[in-house]
Amino acid sequence: MWKFIVRRLVITFPQIILLSLLVFLMAEMMPGDALSGLLDPNIDPAAIEEQRIKLGLNDPWHIKYADWVAGLVQGDLGQSFKFKMPVTELIEQRLVNSFWLGVATLIFTYLIAIPLGITSGRYNDTWADQMITGYTYIGFATPLFIFALVVLWIFGFQLQWFPTSGSVEPGMVPGTFEYVLSKIQHLLLPSLSLALITTVNTVQYLRSEIIDTKQKDFIITARAKGASESRVYNRHILRNSLLPIAAFFGFEITGLIGGTVFVEQIFGYPGMGQLFLESVVGRDYSVVTSVVLLFGIASILGALISDIILSLVDPRIRIK
Amino acid sequence: MKKISFSKALFALMLILLLALAACSGGSDDEGSDDSGSDDTGTEEGTDEGSDEGAEDEGGDEEPAEEDDGLYSVEDFAPSKTNEGEAIEGGTLNFGLVSSSAFEGTLNWNFYAGAPDAEILAWFDESLLGNDEKYRYNNDGAATYEISDDNRTYTFTIKDNVNWHDGEPVTAEDWAYSYEVIGHPEYTGVRYGSDFTNIEGMEAYHNGEADSISGIEIVDEKTLKITFIKATPSLLTGSIWPYAMPKHVFQDIPVAEMQESAAVRENPIGMGPFKVETITPGESVTYVKNEDYWQGEPKLDGVTLKVINPNTVVQALETGEVDMVDSFPTDQYPDNAEMSNVEFLGMTDLYYAYIGFKLGSWDAEAGEVATDDSMKMSDVNLRRAMWYAVDNNAVAENFYNGLRWAADTLIAPSHPEFRDESIEAPTYDPEEAKKILDEAGYEDTDGDGMRENPEGEELVINYAAMEGGDVAEPLANYYMQAWEAVGLNVQLLDGRLQEFNAFYDRVGRTGEDDPAVDIYQGAWGVGFDVDPRGLYGRDAMFNFSRYSSEENDQLLEDGVSEEAFDVEYRQQVYSDWQQLMVDEVPVFPTLYSAVLAPVNNRVQNYSIAVDWNAPHEISVTAEEPVVAE
Repeated sequence: MWKFIVRRLVITFPQIILLSLLVFLMAEMMPGDALSGLLDPNIDPAAIEEQRIKLGLNDPWHIKYADWVAGLVQGDLGQSFKFKMPVTELIEQRLVNSFWLGVATLIFTYLIAIPLGITSGRYNDTWADQMITGYTYIGFATPLFIFALVVLWIFGFQLQWFPTSGSVEPGMVPGTFEYVLSKIQHLLLPSLSLALITTVNTVQYLRSEIIDTKQKDFIITARAKGASESRVYNRHILRNSLLPIAAFFGFEITGLIGGTVFVEQIFGYPGMGQLFLESVVGRDYSVVTSVVLLFGIASILGALISDIILSLVDPRIRIK
Repeated sequence: MKKISFSKALFALMLILLLALAACSGGSDDEGSDDSGSDDTGTEEGTDEGSDEGAEDEGGDEEPAEEDDGLYSVEDFAPSKTNEGEAIEGGTLNFGLVSSSAFEGTLNWNFYAGAPDAEILAWFDESLLGNDEKYRYNNDGAATYEISDDNRTYTFTIKDNVNWHDGEPVTAEDWAYSYEVIGHPEYTGVRYGSDFTNIEGMEAYHNGEADSISGIEIVDEKTLKITFIKATPSLLTGSIWPYAMPKHVFQDIPVAEMQESAAVRENPIGMGPFKVETITPGESVTYVKNEDYWQGEPKLDGVTLKVINPNTVVQALETGEVDMVDSFPTDQYPDNAEMSNVEFLGMTDLYYAYIGFKLGSWDAEAGEVATDDSMKMSDVNLRRAMWYAVDNNAVAENFYNGLRWAADTLIAPSHPEFRDESIEAPTYDPEEAKKILDEAGYEDTDGDGMRENPEGEELVINYAAMEGGDVAEPLANYYMQAWEAVGLNVQLLDGRLQEFNAFYDRVGRTGEDDPAVDIYQGAWGVGFDVDPRGLYGRDAMFNFSRYSSEENDQLLEDGVSEEAFDVEYRQQVYSDWQQLMVDEVPVFPTLYSAVLAPVNNRVQNYSIAVDWNAPHEISVTAEEPVVAE
């Protein structure tokens, strides 16, 4: 299996290079640069021009790209033009937030998906199943950014159960128990609203998989041998039905990245998604390229994880 | 069994599709009314179209300003908070920083670039010089000044009780240090400009030819003397850099690394009424009071500042999550005018919107504008007719509920001292516009209803407008219809609105003007200093219209000459200049604007007036903000 992983990583390498080149070129083609927002009669245009030269913003793209790659190899992602700090430091600050948001969302996704999927698969075409499938269709149809806004309005502002912005209460000292608690409290609403929408895929998969499995011959055999209904479902059906869910896990991560861009923006949650959006708007190229690169790596790793999990849970699949 | 489930699913799908279709048809209805507006010609439809767009608040009635139909005026607002009830001891103020992105965290006046950082800075560090309501430095700040007889040398004395948050006194050396850092060859911010090169010896220092700035002299611990090359009244309205920098904190940090240092980002100090307690990067800052503040101990215990998404400003105010915000979207005011827990403060914004005409290009080699008499818009009669053709009063009422109003000269009412109210600028008169065009030879020769230019060639004017907000598109459409009504064929550049960066790239931010742009619609937030050279001077990159003339040069120079220290003389110069701009119409102002600031009812002694400098006096009447209803 190690061979496989190494081979996969080797294959992904050119993919990442291509991705970074594409992203870099597209970022270059956007009008304006990191300093063009400074259209202020109180600031001398000559001073801005001077900074532009100092920052190398006037260089042609291939030189900029070469500089960027050279830095990258040394583990230096460059300097953010907007935040005036090393990109690595900036990403470090944001990545932590996004990581926890992702973890919380995944937990919620599966917490919601597995019971719902099992119920609607096991008791398919009952009243409960109709309700659950109804929910999944609504989930499919609802755009995340609208849903998140509605959730924010109802639970954040009307009921005031959750904080409405930020990742932590202002003034908390990192490391204390209150700090962690406040972090979790700030996580709940964004991750829940993201999970409620992204989970519908998994519910549907699980449902159809269970319905499919329960008509298989080996289930009839199990029943014939006198296994109790709960044993049939928990041991025989569920285990087999979880396979595609495991395979789906990697894509879940990719989907999360797309989702966090919206959710972080709406909840004012300073993570990678928000960083991505604001660096695109602010033409902060070094950050845009680094973030996209990280996103790309995350998706590729996600796919890899899916494969590995699949080989672990399904002995029929052997990676060579 | 399976079949039933499928048909139910199908039914659900159909339901959703039905909903989606219903939503779509709603949208296309709106578009329909837009289209019908642009089809008929005549002078009425422009304003009708406008009131359609503003119909939410006005119910579409046709009564103009007299009727109370949701119109407001900046005069209805006071800049200072009315105080009700008894203030409590201490308390914490919650301040909302409205921004869709995280703040950058460059927390030093010498290095900051974004407006959000400036808001954060203002709570803990302040200008050494106070200013009066005419934006002039006065002696009420942390330092006083005296001017030499030749107006070139300024002697500043920092008051004795002005100290940094760490207890060290603010010294003349700290102030001089600001200049040394900004002028340093390795300085990484954007402040070094003409204000600094006007100091004697600054350029030599900047180029590395001198170790110190000859024009800056530290007389004693608290006294600083700065000598400028050219004496101008602008020095007193912002051209002197009034911020000191704690030298004892920064002296060991190389200038090139200051911007990313902990002294700027993690534990910045200042001399303002509050000290920074914690910073959560990008999202919030908490402050505690600075008991040693030079104006006296602040009444509040502290301030909590956090970033608020622009989409949720209103909710954050209603629920008392924040007491006030740094900027309130004026277009949301009509829907929230009745918000019970806040008082809206307001005043005239330092702002005007305008339509500009491209009259030349930028000569990068000479570093000045190259006015070209053969441009499409070079005929002043055409430009003046276009001014007469638009009804800015209707725009202000229908799009902005009166919170913007029609503009006449290029000096906004935020500068009443130099604004000449008596100048008669063109106002809406389509007949006059048609007359001017007829006389200037712009006539419809091929019978398509659109005027040709005097040579008989087809005249299509390309109009660059920026996207942004709900109003941008209907507004651009209104202007085009108004011009169409007088027979001018004005088309949106590329048939669409331009994104911010693309817009200014094409209009000429970098000097590479796109020749496809004939006219454009922009806006300026103006500085304290009335001097318009930065926007209309011959050597100003931001002079996007690329207009220049001898008379203009002369007036702009006179406005900052030594004689202009005499206010009456300067008023006359700028009055002449405003008249010149009305006569020559390189651009015409369209709207002035009000700025609104909602403040929670529990807050006292707060003001948005320009000469207000008493943040230590702010107090609250309750522990928690008042909640709406």
